[in-house]
Amino acid sequence: MELLRDSLLSAVVLLMQLDPELLFIIWVSVKVSALSTLIASIIGIPAGLLLAQAVFPGKRIVLTCLNTLLALPTVVIGLVVYAFISRRGTFGSFGLLYTQEAIIIGQIILVVPLVTSLTIAAVSKLDERYRLSAMTLGADRVQTALVIFKEARFGIVAAVVAAFGRVIAEVGIGMMLGGNAKGFTRTMTTAMALEYDKGEYVLAVALGVVLMSIAFGVNMLFHFFQGRTRTDAL
Amino acid sequence: MLYEMTGLEKILGGRKILDISRFTIRSGRIYSLTGPNGAGKTTLLKILAFLDRPSAGEIRFCGNPVLQGKSDMLNLRRQVVMVDQSPLLFTGTVTDNVEFGLKMRKIPAAERRKMTIDALEQVGMEHFVRAEAHRLSGGETKRVALARALAIRPKVLLCDEPTANVDSENQKIILDILADINRQEKTSIIFSTHYQSLEQQLAHFCLHLEHGHISEHQAANVYHAELIERGHHRSSCRLSEEVTLTLPTRVVPAEPLFNLRIDQEKIRLADIIGERETEGSLIEGRVARIREENGRIEVKLDAGIILDLMLSRRMYEDRSIRVGEVVAVVIPDDAVHCVPNNGDFRLD
Repeated sequence: MELLRDSLLSAVVLLMQLDPELLFIIWVSVKVSALSTLIASIIGIPAGLLLAQAVFPGKRIVLTCLNTLLALPTVVIGLVVYAFISRRGTFGSFGLLYTQEAIIIGQIILVVPLVTSLTIAAVSKLDERYRLSAMTLGADRVQTALVIFKEARFGIVAAVVAAFGRVIAEVGIGMMLGGNAKGFTRTMTTAMALEYDKGEYVLAVALGVVLMSIAFGVNMLFHFFQGRTRTDAL
Repeated sequence: MLYEMTGLEKILGGRKILDISRFTIRSGRIYSLTGPNGAGKTTLLKILAFLDRPSAGEIRFCGNPVLQGKSDMLNLRRQVVMVDQSPLLFTGTVTDNVEFGLKMRKIPAAERRKMTIDALEQVGMEHFVRAEAHRLSGGETKRVALARALAIRPKVLLCDEPTANVDSENQKIILDILADINRQEKTSIIFSTHYQSLEQQLAHFCLHLEHGHISEHQAANVYHAELIERGHHRSSCRLSEEVTLTLPTRVVPAEPLFNLRIDQEKIRLADIIGERETEGSLIEGRVARIREENGRIEVKLDAGIILDLMLSRRMYEDRSIRVGEVVAVVIPDDAVHCVPNNGDFRLD
């Protein structure tokens, strides 16, 4: 308990001093997580809208596969992506291994199923009359999808927030594909794992505090937006 | 013909919901669609709105075959609009909702704004332009949903239970709107209803759906009329050899032949046979049928024309009329609605 208290106090001091190393790690983490969430959302939201609306043979199997991918361990993603981007891999010539781009690729694979599944859940909960109203008023497929997106926006934003929370907290992909290189690919989680191995708890705790603060901040922002919009609508 | 259906079937969950061998719906008319719960009224409306596909059969719309699943479905949907029984408005203002269909059709903003205001004026909701759609009451929501449908000036308006779950004031407003747009815009209207008396006053033809089969009969109290004398204040119109009504000249169309509808709610029994009625017409007839409907008494009178009237239970018990008895009824002026008999609207 004493260890945690001392580490916490030292971490607060470190944060207040705006330690450049600490700030860079935070920056890399936020940048990589934001980019991977953004790209995963660009892929996952339309895919979710499409899958929720479409009727085709084998849809149930596709949804089962998607749900299975939610449980995909980060180390498995790390291994598979590694096999493709390592020097002997198919995309080895691009020199992606141990770069921030490699982490982003791995994290996209991690959260696309999450964004897609949660979008499907959000759209499926939406009243069917929104779709029918849009269609009878002359909306084409894309216009109907935009109406559905607008009406299901809270659920879809929740999916994006969940995806961001998932990637900013993951460690396996960052470690295996990023390599935890100081000043390049060191993220908050990989740095915490390293500091823990070294027995240096101060930086680990400071990063933990920042990580939790970011997650808290993002969720607060989401709830603030959701609450304000719903109050406006009442 | 507006719609022609041949061998139309709809199967849901292994059950045949619709089984229509051959049926046609004419243009420019108002049709009511009745039937018990689960009869397939909403399913039929969705098929007519091109929102659902039949399991089998052919539909022709304005003479052209509807190719299910082809790209022309969007074009067909843009000529027909359906208003749900409990319509949902999109998030945003009333204006956002009413101009939605116009935006889908890429109407320029200035024209869109004018059409939106016109549609809101049609339903008496022009003061709600900036109101948040989700703040409206049930009746107001229905009226805005109707404005949203009317803004796009559809060829066909399909309404699922247009007056369900709204107060009597809004019911009357909605029915008046439907009558007006049919008269002014020549919009074909098909609406489903549970109520035998209220909305059916509006319909030129009544469709009944039961066990998936559809049947049609002419709406109650709708007649051909011939102007026989145009007076300064009142004019005489003949409905049959035996029946002539005198009507205020201002409500009688210019043409000598027109259609005339008598509101069965407003007809009342005369106190004595031979009573004089200054603001209406008095006719006598033999009671052909009496039946109860939703606590009220429907009487069918053979007076040279078949005249349906609705009586309150109290009036029926006070007068204790019987089948075969000759009674006199007063048709007040405000019970009579004249419709010009032009090319688009003609009773067969």
